[in-house]
Amino acid sequence: MYSRGVPPTLPADARGIGLRSAHYRELLESWPALDYVEVISENFLGDALPPRYHLDRVKEHYPIVLHGVGLNILGPAPPDASYLDRVAWLADYVNAPFVSDHLCWTGAHGYSHHDLLPTPYVPELVELVAERAALVQHHLGRPFGLENLSSYVEFEQSTLKEWEFYAGVVARAGCHFMLDVNNIYVSSQNHGFAPDEYLEAIDFSRVLQVHVAGHTRDPSGTIVDTHDQPVVDAVWQLYRAAMRRAPRPTLLEWDDRIPPLTEVLAELAKAKDYCQ
Amino acid sequence: MSWPASPAWLLELQDAFGQMLRTPLSRSTGTLSAETGGYPPALLAQTKLGREQSSAERLAVYNRQYWFRLFTLLQVAFPLTAALVGFWRFNQLASYFLVARPPRSWDLERVGDGFADFLSQTLPDAEFEVQPPRRNLPRAALVEAARIDAAYRDVFGAPPVTPFTPALDDAARLLHGTLRLSPAVALLTESWPLCELRRLVVGPQPVEGSTGLGARLETPRSWLLGRDGLKLGLLPLDPREAQLLRLLTQNSVGTALARLEANCTEAELLHLPEQVQTWLARSVRLGIWASLEVGS
Repeated sequence: MYSRGVPPTLPADARGIGLRSAHYRELLESWPALDYVEVISENFLGDALPPRYHLDRVKEHYPIVLHGVGLNILGPAPPDASYLDRVAWLADYVNAPFVSDHLCWTGAHGYSHHDLLPTPYVPELVELVAERAALVQHHLGRPFGLENLSSYVEFEQSTLKEWEFYAGVVARAGCHFMLDVNNIYVSSQNHGFAPDEYLEAIDFSRVLQVHVAGHTRDPSGTIVDTHDQPVVDAVWQLYRAAMRRAPRPTLLEWDDRIPPLTEVLAELAKAKDYCQ
Repeated sequence: MSWPASPAWLLELQDAFGQMLRTPLSRSTGTLSAETGGYPPALLAQTKLGREQSSAERLAVYNRQYWFRLFTLLQVAFPLTAALVGFWRFNQLASYFLVARPPRSWDLERVGDGFADFLSQTLPDAEFEVQPPRRNLPRAALVEAARIDAAYRDVFGAPPVTPFTPALDDAARLLHGTLRLSPAVALLTESWPLCELRRLVVGPQPVEGSTGLGARLETPRSWLLGRDGLKLGLLPLDPREAQLLRLLTQNSVGTALARLEANCTEAELLHLPEQVQTWLARSVRLGIWASLEVGS
């Protein structure tokens, strides 16, 4: 099915963390028990020595999956060919079970905004992005997952619910969900929908991985996907609901105000409790 | 790869969204806040009202995120520069830079490219005020600090390099060849004690807020910044040694040696051949050269 052959798989109950440079020293000194780690693809696409040095050590100890933030699948221009080639090379290099990126756009008209930005949810874009996602998965030669966004605006043009859009893209592309339950929660609070309804729309046989993370309520009242806190109970409850549908590899993201590794691992350990 | 094209309406929406993101934050209230009055009306019209917030307030979340992400990134990449002027003033300089040169690459590491040159070309005054504390900072010092920060970033992030070691048969072509400096090495010059200040700023107890510059040095000081493993180190250079290394990066070895000689005093010339031998041998031993290039 995949042009690079049968990829390795992660156990459904695998639990991992996002690899962050703030933890390099602690990680390399202690090699804690982790089922896998996820790396931000773009951090390792260049030829700089320090990232590669750490990646080489980490891959000796843990399976690695790739998570991108720069594909810009809903952007106006095709990805730079060398960008996708490098992601494919990196996936081969670490023998990644899968690669994921976001169902969003990150730049347009020559600008790179370095943020995960929403579009209207309309059937026309389901067709468009599905075709693109299928091309990406083919190019990578291994399972490719799209992650749902946290969003802070909705558009008047939308005729589909976010989950209809998301599920439509994955089904039509033949790619996969990389389901972030914190993002579902954040968007549900910002836009006033029931997160369970979102989960209903997801075909869990196509979920590669589930992300959990913390968030923050900003002064305007909007909940923002900051990844700078422990996971709140409401998100853990949503995670539990997802796992009851089908256990899937779990990943804790912590990107800002990063605490010591032991604290991140303690937060990850909670995932086990919510799977029971 | 045949990438299907986006519809025109999406391109227009993304153009307007991008304009909104790049709208600079206001400093008028003493904190950085979104200036929603300048958002494109077409974008506001397409954005649904939030449950408790206006469309503009919702969009402002993205506007603030855009700027704070980039400010943080530049503060991390230019810690000495940020410490000299303080974060409030630094963010203003960063804002000018990012308005003039918004990011265009997916690679976040590239966002700060050209920042030092931008400061050099655009800061208007010989001195400018830093508040608080109220004091003046020489523009040249700030530019020098930004260049030092940029050098640290580039050297640390350089690819692995196999140093050039001359072989016997290189001797004949050495004079006509040009030595290429390793990307894992930089030659630094400071007119203020900036390298020492940077060490303090990024040390285990980082300095917060704006930091004192120190007195101008009687004569500029040169350093060799290099990466050993994953660590960066500084070596002090004799002024003439630094001059030689700089000349070598810009000229053939023969021309560099001739120009160095032309700059030396009678007294210096007496010992120059031995010193040049010593400096060249040390440069090779330290692995600062990546290659020898000889024209056809």
